[in-house]
This record gives sequence, C-alpha cells and structure tokens, in this order.
Amino acid sequence: MRVALQPKTLFIALSVACLLAIWLSLALGPVSLPLMDTLRAGMRLLGVPVQGDNLQQAELILGQIRVPRTLLGLAVGAVLALSGVAMQGLFRNPLADPGLVGVSSGAALGAAIAIVAGASLGGIPESIEPYLLSIFAFAGGLIVTAIVYRLGRRDGQTSVGIMLLAGVAMTALAGSIIGLFTYLADDATLRTLTFWNLGTLNGASYARLWPLLLVCVFVIGWLPRRAKALNALLLGESEARHLGIEVERLKRELVLCIALGVGAAVAAAGLIGFVGLIVPHLVRLMAGPDHRIVLPASALAGASLLLFADVFARLALAPAELPIGIVTAFIGAPFFLFLLVRGRT
Amino acid sequence: MRPMTQLTAILTGLLFTHLASAQSQPQPQRWVSAGGALTEWVVALGGESHLVGIDTTSQHPESIKSLPSIGYQRQLSSEGILSLRPDILIGTEEMGPPPVLEQLRAAGVKVEVLSAGADVSALQDNLKKLGALLGHDSQANQLSEQYAKQLESQHDWLAQAQLHQTAPGVLLLVSHSGSRPMVAGIGTVGDWLIKQAGGRNLATHNGYKLFSTEAMAGLNPEVLVFTDRAQGGASSRDALLKENPLLTSTQAARNKRLIEVDPTLLVGGLGPRLPEALKTLSKAFYPADGSLNAKVAPAQ
Repeated sequence: MRVALQPKTLFIALSVACLLAIWLSLALGPVSLPLMDTLRAGMRLLGVPVQGDNLQQAELILGQIRVPRTLLGLAVGAVLALSGVAMQGLFRNPLADPGLVGVSSGAALGAAIAIVAGASLGGIPESIEPYLLSIFAFAGGLIVTAIVYRLGRRDGQTSVGIMLLAGVAMTALAGSIIGLFTYLADDATLRTLTFWNLGTLNGASYARLWPLLLVCVFVIGWLPRRAKALNALLLGESEARHLGIEVERLKRELVLCIALGVGAAVAAAGLIGFVGLIVPHLVRLMAGPDHRIVLPASALAGASLLLFADVFARLALAPAELPIGIVTAFIGAPFFLFLLVRGRT
Repeated sequence: MRPMTQLTAILTGLLFTHLASAQSQPQPQRWVSAGGALTEWVVALGGESHLVGIDTTSQHPESIKSLPSIGYQRQLSSEGILSLRPDILIGTEEMGPPPVLEQLRAAGVKVEVLSAGADVSALQDNLKKLGALLGHDSQANQLSEQYAKQLESQHDWLAQAQLHQTAPGVLLLVSHSGSRPMVAGIGTVGDWLIKQAGGRNLATHNGYKLFSTEAMAGLNPEVLVFTDRAQGGASSRDALLKENPLLTSTQAARNKRLIEVDPTLLVGGLGPRLPEALKTLSKAFYPADGSLNAKVAPAQ
C-alpha cells in the first residue's frame, strides 16, 4: 500500500475538515439562524458583550443545544476512533473493533437492564435517575471487559487470542441476555432499546458531557504517548519485548483505555457503529501504518466524521431526526470504498 | 427582505393574540402533538388549525398527515421541534427523551404531559386539560360526557346481550403482513377493547408478546381480532391465515369470526374513534343481538 499523503499535508487536511465540521455543527440545524446572529450569539457566550436584539433565541440554541452537541460529537468520535486504533494494534487484527473485548455489548446489556428493569428497581434517588442509563451502560462495559481480560490471563501473561475468543463469547452471552430483556420488554420499552442501539447525539447536556470529556481528555492524552510501543507490537509480542517494551503493561493500559473510552462514549451517546472499525483503516489508507501518525489523525478523522454525520442526521428529516448510527456508515462507507478502489490501481 | 417580513408577521400575530386574550391567560397558538390519540382529540376539539407538527404515531385524521413530522415520540429532537416555533408540546408519559424536554422547557415551550392510561377517568382528565388549553372548555366537557355516555350504553347493551349469550374467548393479534403475530395481553389498549366489547381475553401475559401459532391454536379462540400494520381489508385476513395455517383450525376461523381493527386505534391511549370500534366488535362478539346494536348509535 503506497503512502499517499505526507503527514503534514494529512494533518492540515484533517484539521481543516474538523474545523469545517465544527463550524457546520454550530451553524446548521433545523432552526435556521442568520449567520450574523450565530456569530454574535457565539461571541456573547464567550463573554464578549455584543450589541444586538433578539439574540436570546440564538444564544439559547447555540449555548444549550448546539455547543454541547458539538462537544459530544467531537469527544465520542475521537474516542471511538482512537479505541479502534488501539484495538487493532492490540490484536494485530484489522477486523478488530472496539466492541471486540465486550465493552459495547456489556454497555448495551447495562443499558437494557436500566431501560427494562430500571422502573421496577425503585428506591433510586431522584438526582441519579436521569443518569441511570448512562451509569449502567458504563458499568456494564467495564465489568464485561474486566471479565474478558481476566479470562485472557494465563500464568501472568495475557493471551490476546484467548481474549479475542472470550470477547466473542461474552458478546454472544450479553446478546442473548439482551434478547431475553427484549422479549420481556413491552412495546414502548422495546422501541427505546432499538433507538438506543442506533445511537444519537440528541439531548446532549453539559451535565452528561463532563464525565465523557474527562475520559476523553485522558484517552486522547494517553494513547498517542504509546504510539511507539504500538508500532513495536506490530512486529509481534516477543519482538516488541526484545525491543524493550513492557508488553504486559501495554496490553493492560490499552484495554483500560478502550474500556473507559468506549464505555463513556456509549454511555453518553448510545451505540454508534462503524467509526471505531473503519476510521483507523481510512487513516492508514491515507497515511500508512505508523501509529505516531495514525493515532492523532484517527482522533481528528473520527471527530470530523461524527460531526458531519450528525449535521446530516439532524437536517435530513427535520424536524424529526435520524439516528446517527445509520448515517456514520452511510457517509463513511462509500468514502472508504473509494479509497480501497483507488489504492488498488 | 424575508426575515424582516417574517418578523413583522410574528410581531403582528403576537399583538393580535395578545389583544384577544388580554383578560385571561394567553392560550398557546402553535401546537405540536406527540401522541396519536391526543392529536385526534385536539382535532375533535376544533384545534386542528393550531397544529404545526405531529409525531409518527399521529395518523388520524387523514388531513393532518401533511403536517411536519417530529419523529417518534420517544426520540424527539429539541432543535427540530423548536424550528416549528411551537408554544406548546403535548404528549403522553411516553414522550422523551427527558433531556430534550428540559431543553424545550428552557426555550420557553410549554410541555404538557398527559396520561396514556387506558381508562376513562384518565381520558376525561386529558380532555379537560386540552379544552382549557384550547379555550374550548365547554366543547371538551361535552365530548367527555358523550364519551362516557357512549361507553355506558355500550355496557347496557352488553348486559342485555350477556343474558342469553356467553362471553366469547378472544385473541387480538397485531402483525405485519400476517407474519409473526403479537398477542395483546393485559394492560394494552387491545385488552381494554376486548373487555369493553364484552370478550374474554384469552391471553394472560403483560403487553404485546410473540406467540407461536401452536399456542394460539391451542387457546382456540372463538373470535380473532386482528390488525395489520402493512395492509388492510381482505388481503390482510388472507395473509394472516396463509402465514399461520394452524389458525384455520380454530373456532374463530371455522366460523369466519375474524374481525379487523385499525392499527392506529391501539396507540397512545383512548382515542375518539374507540366507541365506534367497540360497537363493531361487540356486534361481532354477540351476533344474535345485532338488532340491539342499533340502539347504541352514538349521538354525533
């Protein structure tokens, strides 16, 4: 596979795409705000006193709806894409997606429990209730990942092969339990479950955003520092060990990052497929396999893709809204195919 | 300049509505409804011209289908709804997600959560609230009384019919082109319909559940009520029997007692068309009393 772009060119292109996506996400929505109003409302939100009448609506839509939504999209997109790179590096398998260690299915199981059984649990403090779904999803993702990691441990070593199989088995198990919950659920609960499985950035609020942003900053700050180690791991585990990499520690860190990152992203926005699997490949097709480039570039590309998809999701059927999980694949897959075909010639 | 004319129109509109309701609390002018039965009631109360958006469960009457759709009631979009510039959003407890409702309230939209319960007192409360919000209190009262009266005469008729006929065992099936029918259990509007029409619901589970055709045939219902989300009329009946051949062995199929109901009747609580549907159902449940049925013609 030839390297198509110089890293510098790639980063400039991706930064431009990301800025464009942020701008579109802030400027476009079912409520059509004049450009000047958006700008002035934005200035006001930043604390700059700007003159202007009738800015209340613009300020509200920008401040309460579009800004949190954009931040959520950036964080979720970046974290999912980074986790995808980490997964594919850890398993040295191009088909690995962040769900493989069971974090997605665990989160889905947690969500299903919260949606179906949440009402009948009772005794939940009022302050926690709105976040019950997110908490359960996050906890579910962490627990299932921890089980998969434990199962992969043998004699002080982590076998990624066994982890992979354990992940597949745990995913199947969680899937069947979700199936049982689906059967027990009534019609309305069922629809909530279905929509949750497709993901959405709708209804983003600052209260839900902070935990995710914290995790996101941690993952974005941490993973790129392990780029060299991931590069060494590409050669194989024993080769990486000979190169002086503490392979066991690296695996532990990667699994932790993935579990935290994907767990938080899924808890905040539901299951959004495609980004974690395809974005790393997309970046590799453009820039080659060096993790020092692939990691930050994937974060940018994932964030941009998710924002573009979200703008489409909210405008396509306005005033109704498409689940974003449908749109990410719809936008991303043709682009990916284009790169594949181009790479072959 | 378009924004300018729009603004003038809004301001003029505001001025007029303000003048019109200067004495009392201002009535909401632009309505978005997220609930099939509620939408029907708003229309029945003469509020159709106020509706600016509806959800996907609002399918009746035909004339509202041209309104912008705000999507599924549990998956509302805050900005999408705000783009319709509504004064009020009405819906049932099923409406959500909660953060979106919070954002709408913050934006000054009145969010009115009504009951989706399948019982008459819940409906009467809903009607009272809707009437007050529309400023059509007396009309709401009238509809509410009429509804109660219709149900009452339905009960009287049933009592008469049950003197010399036993209540038939019934299953209500919801399917898509006949395949994989779901059976209406306890707590559903379907169950309410069966009971009000004088039938015995043979299903004892909660909510809608998938049944195997063997289980359905085993219960051997005397009457099958079915509804099809994909098609209507004779074709849906044929599809149901074709997809589930075991059903032909039931008493219901042998005696040709398969009754179709409109699927939109079953969503979002009790709607204005239910008494009429009840009449059709109970007529089919107690065929010997067909003549009595004429007495319960509702006052239109």
